[in-house]
Amino acid sequence: MSATTTSVPDREARRDNRRDFVAKNFGVISISVVFVVLFAYFSLASDAFLTTTNLVNVLRQVAPTVIVAVGMTFVITTGQIDLSVGSIVGLSAAALGLFAESGNPVVALLGTLAIALAIGLASGMITAFGKVQSFIVTLAALTAVRGVALLITDGYSTPITSDFLLPLGQGSLAGIYTPTWLAVIAVVTGWYVFNHTRFGRYVTAVGSNDESLRRAGVDIRRIQVAVLGLTGVLAGLAGVITAARLGSGSSNSGTAFELEVITAVVLGGTSLMGGRGSILGSAIGALTLGVINNGLVLSKVDVYWVPITQGLILIVAIFLNSKLFGRIVGTRA
Amino acid sequence: MTGGLDGGTAHAVPRVEMQGITKSYGALKVLRGVDLRVGRGEVVGLVGDNGAGKSTLMKMLAGAVVPDRGRILVDGEELTGTGPRAARAHGIEMVYQDLALCNDVDVAGNLFLGREPYHRFTRKLDHARMHREAAEDLAKLHIRISDTRQLVGNMSGGQRQAIAIARAVAFEPRVLVLDEPTAALAAREVEMTLQLIRDVSERGVSVILITHRLQDLFEVADRFVVLHEGVNHRELDPADTDLTGLVTAMMGK
Ligand SMILES: Nc1ncnc2c1ncn2[C@@H]1O[C@H](COP(=O)(O)OP(=O)(O)OP(=O)(O)O)[C@@H](O)[C@H]1O
Ligand SMILES: [Mg+2]
Repeated sequence: MSATTTSVPDREARRDNRRDFVAKNFGVISISVVFVVLFAYFSLASDAFLTTTNLVNVLRQVAPTVIVAVGMTFVITTGQIDLSVGSIVGLSAAALGLFAESGNPVVALLGTLAIALAIGLASGMITAFGKVQSFIVTLAALTAVRGVALLITDGYSTPITSDFLLPLGQGSLAGIYTPTWLAVIAVVTGWYVFNHTRFGRYVTAVGSNDESLRRAGVDIRRIQVAVLGLTGVLAGLAGVITAARLGSGSSNSGTAFELEVITAVVLGGTSLMGGRGSILGSAIGALTLGVINNGLVLSKVDVYWVPITQGLILIVAIFLNSKLFGRIVGTRA
Repeated sequence: MTGGLDGGTAHAVPRVEMQGITKSYGALKVLRGVDLRVGRGEVVGLVGDNGAGKSTLMKMLAGAVVPDRGRILVDGEELTGTGPRAARAHGIEMVYQDLALCNDVDVAGNLFLGREPYHRFTRKLDHARMHREAAEDLAKLHIRISDTRQLVGNMSGGQRQAIAIARAVAFEPRVLVLDEPTAALAAREVEMTLQLIRDVSERGVSVILITHRLQDLFEVADRFVVLHEGVNHRELDPADTDLTGLVTAMMGK
């Protein structure tokens, strides 16, 4: 374009670029600031916070949230939501325990992930082909899937003893626990797919203007099915990790987990209206929540303050997400 | 006038042939058996009142809407109800009245939407190529957008319209459908768009132009097709029609 550009449009372009940079990265920038401030605060407020043992533990604790938040970023960017991830964690943890009790641990692992994937795909198909809002479909799944988890276990936990499965939650490499490594892999892969592949591009485009994408010849229903399948299988992985860490598969795992994941994603600047998302932002959002939970526990406040704080953070995050964020990145059209 | 090369002749296979197209939305019968033929390199001005069904008819040609009844043939090949991908594959490109851009995607991303180049093994989008070719395409059309990394949502109405036009032209269309392409454009850009229509029709591209700026139609169209109340009302030759005659026809008289 240099041939037709003069210095004035150049300057304008640079301003536009800066505005676009802030627009694209505002969420990540602001959650990073919040994270650093909280991290510094808890380091000063509690002696136990800034220790290797504690931080390595925090990184293990937040791993399931980070992993599912990666998937949830895709879903929310398409303008949908998945409320069923907590229940899928519960069912997967329960199923892993039952499968492992009665058979081959590899089959148990793959079978559990396959069930989680199937639930996600089913929600996706009902949403895409049945034209029911994912909010409704996954709300129904939230109840039904948890019910199935309780039904198959009678509410009891199943101990897991397999040497193949336990390291998924308890193993470590270079001083870092396996769940943390799995979370790192999820974030890097998710970031790549989200920002550098056609699929990621279409996830953004569906949330931005699905009819435009449809007219461009893309089957938008496949995108919708795929993103819910993704949260399904990642919630399954989170369930496996949780069960392996505790050494037992409990159908009560993952209660209210969906709220934590959605809070992390919204904190990271992904727009609930769709069209804008950040994998990195979601990861930092999940870390921030983990640091808050850990910091509160170490500060010896009553444990009931943890869910109360989380609820309040969700409200504030959504408020900022829709008001402040919306204004700063507001588009003219 | 660039001449309807074989648009009028009965024996040749027309580039576009739409036969007996009907479409209802609920109780509303938008189209009640419309026919449209466009020859190679022909420029057809499709006119009619607001709500006459012009956009609906063209969305069918572009594959975005499926007709209730009727047939759509392109170069003699049946394309009825095969969808936008097939229409694109047959060289049909359309500038939609609502532009059909994604605000949260950048300029290059919108130009390449649905046909992004990517690496065969890593699946990585070829961002560099998209930005380079997008800049070239815009430059070729003298569209002044300094950076193809800008988000389309932050751009002016005229710029957005220019991007929609560039997208339709960039991929060597055989049929170019322009639905109110100049509504948001400044005078100079309108003139450039009309010149673009002359240029592409010279190269054999068939053009269907919908616009409420009727004086523009007289500058480029080889033929007017007038829709009224869901049927073909009149077919007029610009050479022996004037503005008043065209307006009268649009009113259904
Ligand atoms: N998806 C839809 N659902 C319901 N009604 C529709 C739909 N699309 C079009 N219509 C109706 O069909 C009629 C024709 O619409 P269309 O957009 O084709 O008209 P038009 O000739 O392009 O008008 P204009 O000149 O205002 O652009 C209108 O009455 C419109 O309300
Ligand atoms: Mg119209």
